[in-house]
Amino acid sequence: MTWADLPALYPMLIPAATAVLLLLTLTVRRDARLAAGVAMAGFIAGLLALAASAAELSHPVTMLLTVDRFAVVFWGILLFAGLLVSVFAVGYFRTLREPREEFYLLWLLAVVGAMVMAASAHFAAFFLGLELLSVSLYVLIAYPRMQSRAVEAGVKYLILAGASSAFVLFGMALTYAATGTLTFAELFTHLTLFPGDVLLLGGVVMILVGVGFKLALVPFHFWTPDVYEGAPLPVTAAVATVSKGAAFALLTRLLLGVIQAQPGHSTLAVIFTLLALASMIVGNLLALAQGNLKRLLAYSSIANMGYALTAFIAGGDAARVAIPYFFAGYIVAVLAAFGVMTQLSTPEHELQEVEDYRGLAWRYPWSAALLTVALLSLAGIPLTAGFLGKFFVLTAGMAAGRWTLVVTLVLTSGLGLYYYLRVITALYQAPLEGEQPTPPPLHLPHRLSVLTGLALAVLAALLLLLGVYPSPVLHLLAWP
Amino acid sequence: MVPFAWIILVSILLFALGAIALITRRNAVAALMGVELMLNAANLNFVAAWRYYYPDHLDAQVAVLLVITIAAAEAAVGLAIILNLYRRFGTVDLDQIRLMRG
Amino acid sequence: MFSLLWLAPTLPLAGFLILATVGARLPRRVNTALGVGSVGLAALVSLLLAAAWAAAPPGAYTQTLWTWLHVGTFAPGITFYLDPLALVMLLVVTGVGFLIHVYAAWYMQDDPSIRRFFAYMNLFVAMMVVLVLADNLPLLYLGWEGVGLCSYLLIGFWYREPGNVKAAMKAFLITRIGDTALIIGLFLLFAQLGTVQIQALLAAAPGLTPAAATWAAALLLGGAVGKSAQLPLQTWLPDAMAGPTPVSALIHAATMVTAGVYLIARMHGIFTQAPGVMTAVAVIGAVTMLMAACSALAQRDLKRVLAYSTMSQVGMMFMALGVGAWTAAIFHFMTHAFFKALLFLGAGVVIHALGGEQDVTKMGGLRKTLPGVYWALLIGALSLAGFPFVTAGFYSKDAILYLSWTAARGAPWLWALGWFTAFLTAVYAFRMIFLVFHGPAVQAHPVRDARVSVPLGILAVLSVIGGFVLLPRVLGGFAPFAAFLRPVLPEPPQRDGGIFEVVLLAASAVASLGGIGVAYLLFARRRTTSPDAGLARFWRQGWGFDALYDRLVVHPYLWLAQECRHDVVDAFYHGLADVCLMLNGWLSALQNGRVRWYAGALVAGAVLLLALLVWR
Repeated sequence: MTWADLPALYPMLIPAATAVLLLLTLTVRRDARLAAGVAMAGFIAGLLALAASAAELSHPVTMLLTVDRFAVVFWGILLFAGLLVSVFAVGYFRTLREPREEFYLLWLLAVVGAMVMAASAHFAAFFLGLELLSVSLYVLIAYPRMQSRAVEAGVKYLILAGASSAFVLFGMALTYAATGTLTFAELFTHLTLFPGDVLLLGGVVMILVGVGFKLALVPFHFWTPDVYEGAPLPVTAAVATVSKGAAFALLTRLLLGVIQAQPGHSTLAVIFTLLALASMIVGNLLALAQGNLKRLLAYSSIANMGYALTAFIAGGDAARVAIPYFFAGYIVAVLAAFGVMTQLSTPEHELQEVEDYRGLAWRYPWSAALLTVALLSLAGIPLTAGFLGKFFVLTAGMAAGRWTLVVTLVLTSGLGLYYYLRVITALYQAPLEGEQPTPPPLHLPHRLSVLTGLALAVLAALLLLLGVYPSPVLHLLAWP
Repeated sequence: MVPFAWIILVSILLFALGAIALITRRNAVAALMGVELMLNAANLNFVAAWRYYYPDHLDAQVAVLLVITIAAAEAAVGLAIILNLYRRFGTVDLDQIRLMRG
Repeated sequence: MFSLLWLAPTLPLAGFLILATVGARLPRRVNTALGVGSVGLAALVSLLLAAAWAAAPPGAYTQTLWTWLHVGTFAPGITFYLDPLALVMLLVVTGVGFLIHVYAAWYMQDDPSIRRFFAYMNLFVAMMVVLVLADNLPLLYLGWEGVGLCSYLLIGFWYREPGNVKAAMKAFLITRIGDTALIIGLFLLFAQLGTVQIQALLAAAPGLTPAAATWAAALLLGGAVGKSAQLPLQTWLPDAMAGPTPVSALIHAATMVTAGVYLIARMHGIFTQAPGVMTAVAVIGAVTMLMAACSALAQRDLKRVLAYSTMSQVGMMFMALGVGAWTAAIFHFMTHAFFKALLFLGAGVVIHALGGEQDVTKMGGLRKTLPGVYWALLIGALSLAGFPFVTAGFYSKDAILYLSWTAARGAPWLWALGWFTAFLTAVYAFRMIFLVFHGPAVQAHPVRDARVSVPLGILAVLSVIGGFVLLPRVLGGFAPFAAFLRPVLPEPPQRDGGIFEVVLLAASAVASLGGIGVAYLLFARRRTTSPDAGLARFWRQGWGFDALYDRLVVHPYLWLAQECRHDVVDAFYHGLADVCLMLNGWLSALQNGRVRWYAGALVAGAVLLLALLVWR
């Protein structure tokens, strides 16, 4: 590595440095607003630094990281999500009695971990990023330590994510034993040269278990609803966006080339197809009758990862557009949904049940409208980001002739429509006769901070813009 | 010298034991120890592969050191969370910690 | 200069967005100004475009804002296409639209929901402009559905009256039948010709097989018939008068209902490939215009007179389209927009002055109290009746009548129907004038407001001079309008008129003057009121189509639905739902909250995948 490589890494180094700076700041002065401000500044500076990275594309930085357009796009998504989650956290945690400052510190580290994963070209970087993300998330999930559910979710995630990391590591050890290298590029060469090497494939499959766990693919999905439900809302949003985006970026880096190079009926392709089919079907079925909105979104995320996997399996140029576009749309929609929920909740009293949202439109029309658009986008209704994302995924699937996946995607999306519309109907229903409208979620006078309002407005604009005016983003994604 | 396959076998057994501990032990700390066992199985694998096949590369040794460090960090955070679990629930029996389901 | 084109739809859309979002925090005056101003600016843009066109006609101007999505040859863009036809439509939509918005500022001034009103109206104008300027079929369809939505919202604007809501629902459902046909037609065209770009479609149209051309044209006609309230989908229009009067003037008279005419004229290349469908267009138009004229004669509700009149006049445009007289149809569309908007706005003032009374038999002698409106409505009625030589309606109607006989596709009987309709038109137009403004006077409040007099004045002037752009050959043949449209719309092949043209011109004049005379005898001298029985009643109820459809469609459908409650089809879907819920139950039971169970599943999944690896 030389000094010349440094600018390419700024978007990642700045949040990392901000974490250190924040730690130092906290020794001088404990102030939640200050901490949040520092974190946000770090994210914004990181986003601005992306311009510097984008100037030097396809840039291997040591053997550990590659800063190419794909990394830059995903870094952008991750930093954006990082910024918005910090904004949501400020309003959400305002009633928390315990110290709130460390939240932002851990969150900065988690995002840095995710960014390392998205740019990694080497197993060491991959594992380091994965653990940085995971360990930060254990604490973030259990952050409101007086809330039993949060602690329960933290323990569950701790044990299961630890086990999945062990799988990843064992897989790495096996691939190392088979190939003698830890770089992705070498792995690719070996996999194409010896597609039948069981030791190597066994290693890859075990790594896949770990990645599948992070993506909540069936059958590694069991933790998802419980962690979503128990984690404080901003962290739920983080798990749904940053953690999944990083894991999928990594998967794409590690195996997209392999899947494309191998014939359509290779063992890996079969395994991926099974995972995708199971995720789409099981995820949507689980969401059907779910009454808790957080759990519902957890199940829907399982299905959505199945959709994303469809584009991944299809491969080809179409997938190179479809995967980032789908993720951008998915992440914006999920952030919008959780953003709305966050601004109506506090750690002590979260609005989780669909019933809690009955008649929301009559009291908070703007929030209800944004939640509606977000859910419609997740359901893939035209003129929203989700529609085009799903559309590109389908195009990729059809171009590759993956008809089983395409048909399953379409059919299970029908199921999805049912449960999303169920929530939307509740938003616009009049409160039940003789019943008070939803009990006000907060005892405090509720006023949206300017920052949260701005964040939600940006999300709303993006949801529609990505659905109506895709060209600039597509241009950005024209990835070599 | 013992054949490489034996060592792989041992590491797989170690991994399986860790997994079994994870599934069968109701004590959260014990489950965490199961996870540690799994990580160490992987380490053993790394070291063996280095020693038998790639003795002139340092990759595996570095990887093992990295894993030991990370495992320590994970254990520290994990035990802190389990301590807090005990404060909230009065137990570390994983089977009794199921407020959320469905 | 032409690069301003995108502003034409964007300005009203921006008006809509502002009104819909932050409008609630703004005072009413600002809301009104925004609503009227955005359309006014759009009209200004249109005028600038027209001026630029006059200075240097570019032939056609295309502006691509962006491509929405791109799959193979399916690449609908947000692309606007301006040619003479689109320019005429654009000028009328924004120009008349602006005048009606100004009027609406007065008409709705006391309405508590004025913001909602202007938001919908602005959205309507934006969508109508999109429809007119669309360069490809998906965009056209967006505009098409957009105006349909606005129409629905505005018919049901006063939604506290259940009747209004029903009328809105009826309009929405019936036009939906046509919309469905239209979209199938669009799919068919794309499947056959492999493009959605309208100009490319027209260029490729001669390559269509006769069967495909017939189907495509018939399906497009289906859409046009629904939107333009022609047989057999005409029943929604009279009920649509439940909306506020400016809405009736803008949407249900001047612009939206003529979208069908525009669609056929725009897609004329497809229609000329399907002679059978052309004949159907002419016949549907002819029959609708005659039936609607009879119905208009029997109406008592002032607005329903005008609604049936609209239906009849649009029928006349359809007849012109059917014989290939595209230019004449668009000419009549333009003059009709002027005088029908004028009539509706005037009628709105009358109804307002009478405190909401709409029954013409309870009106009378209003020319003393409302002299200005009297003159405006008189000019509108004269134009509608086609008063010879001085009104716009005369020239446009005469152009249609003349071509309905002499065009190659024309026929004497089409002309005869048209002539008789023109006669009836004159009768009902002046029945309205005589019943409302002559005879014994009733109590009314005078209305004096610039927001009324200026639009009425401008529209009255246009109703007169709007016709002098396409004169018949015997009167000098001064025809810049036809020359302007010729690059887009070909002239129909026709027999040489000669002296015959004079005869037909005279016949048109006779129909108009005769009709006015009969109206004078029947309604000014004697104030005949039609009985509430027999033929008059049948006509008043629109030839019993509502009852017919009720019997023919609604009741059997309800019966069928009732019978089908427990049938096999449902059983399948219920079964599917039950299976899904059952699976949901099982899978949810697996989510039992036990972390050890989850870890077991994780390990089992890994073992499963590894087993798969070895087994293969």
